[in-house]
Amino acid sequence: MTGGEAPEVIGELRQILARAAGREELLGLPAQTPLFGAGVGLDSLAGTLLLREVHRRFGVDVAGEDLNLDALATLGTLAAFISERAHGHGPS
Amino acid sequence: MMVKCVIWDLDNTLLSGVYLESGAQPPPADPAMVTAAAQLGDRGIIHAIASRNPPEAARYAARVTGLDFAAAECGWGRKSDAVRRIAADLGLAPDAVAFVDDDLYERAEVSSAVPEVLVLSPEDMAEAVGWPEFSPAVVTAEARRRGEMYAERRRRLQEARAFAGSRDDFLRYCRTEVTIAPAAAADVPRLHELSVRTHQFNTAGRAVPEPALRELIGSPAHQVTIVRLADRFGDDGVVGGCVVERGPDRAWTVTLLMMSCRAMGRGVIQALLAWLARSAGQGGATALAVPCLVTPRNVPLRLALAAAGFRAAETGPPDQPAALFSRPLTEPPPELPGYVIGEVRSGVTGP
Repeated sequence: MTGGEAPEVIGELRQILARAAGREELLGLPAQTPLFGAGVGLDSLAGTLLLREVHRRFGVDVAGEDLNLDALATLGTLAAFISERAHGHGPS
Repeated sequence: MMVKCVIWDLDNTLLSGVYLESGAQPPPADPAMVTAAAQLGDRGIIHAIASRNPPEAARYAARVTGLDFAAAECGWGRKSDAVRRIAADLGLAPDAVAFVDDDLYERAEVSSAVPEVLVLSPEDMAEAVGWPEFSPAVVTAEARRRGEMYAERRRRLQEARAFAGSRDDFLRYCRTEVTIAPAAAADVPRLHELSVRTHQFNTAGRAVPEPALRELIGSPAHQVTIVRLADRFGDDGVVGGCVVERGPDRAWTVTLLMMSCRAMGRGVIQALLAWLARSAGQGGATALAVPCLVTPRNVPLRLALAAAGFRAAETGPPDQPAALFSRPLTEPPPELPGYVIGEVRSGVTGP
């Protein structure tokens, strides 16, 4: 599954990320931009707020299921991670 | 569990009377509570306000008590919600918080909604000053200034909210200075305190006694490092540290890495991890490994490790999850942020 299959999830994640990082310009962030490093420079504070809100909003505990936090590579990978799990648990 | 923050009710608790029922002259501070609060402040315990009053009441209370309040929730919602917001705002777990209120109903409401919080009446509080929960074994210079540092933190956060620009721009604007230096004997009490108090940024999750720290500082096979943080809002002192053990095969193991949650969002852990990766490379290390407990509380540390290019392999048993984070030294190390100053010798070198 790719991030392209979950455009609504990506849109919502973009808003959560912009709020968590306190940076409005992230509302225009492409789904493939790396979140760590030069791309967005996600730090532990914004990352923690993002994961907390993802858990609250989608019921997916990314940190509990993904030791290396690979799901946080991009908004696309995060959306895919969430969609796979939300589909597994939610009504079909 | 040590209490790190006391959340005070105002009416008939920290004030001897009811703020809104006292006409032009609001009630004076309650001398017994102010004495207790000041004693706790000297031990590094911080204060906050949760009151059914307008926000002016918190400013008035700060003036008449002479105390620094790290947070204030004034309003007419549930006190348990105010307590939860304050704990989240200060980055504290509920079990590190005490709540003092004269009203039996409010105490019951907070106890039932947030059972981890230590709930006390004003009478309890006068006596609780002597309890172990309020008596840290060591009181460091950082601890005595903790109340002030939280007040500085509030001013910094207010400016950060109004600041248009990236986090790094803001850190530069604040004239952030992160100093990484070898630990000396005088740093032992603070390093011990950090090993006890830090949870969100702590790889080991256990207290390191002072004699053990002294031994590590003197050991040729180890390097103990401290991290200081200051900016134009104030000096936070020593906010973190790490212990590197170099193995016989020039493999470096970071046996302890810790940072105060107060330093979160200020580039400190990023600077420390970048410095570790760089000094391992320069020091001729063959590997750099960080064994780390995996708990719901230290997710912020895992985020920082991931951002610095570390990869984890599971090591612990299922009931006590742990991981070995490592970073290949063949890859270029992360840039040392521009706000890192001081030094920093390049780290321990092989035998």
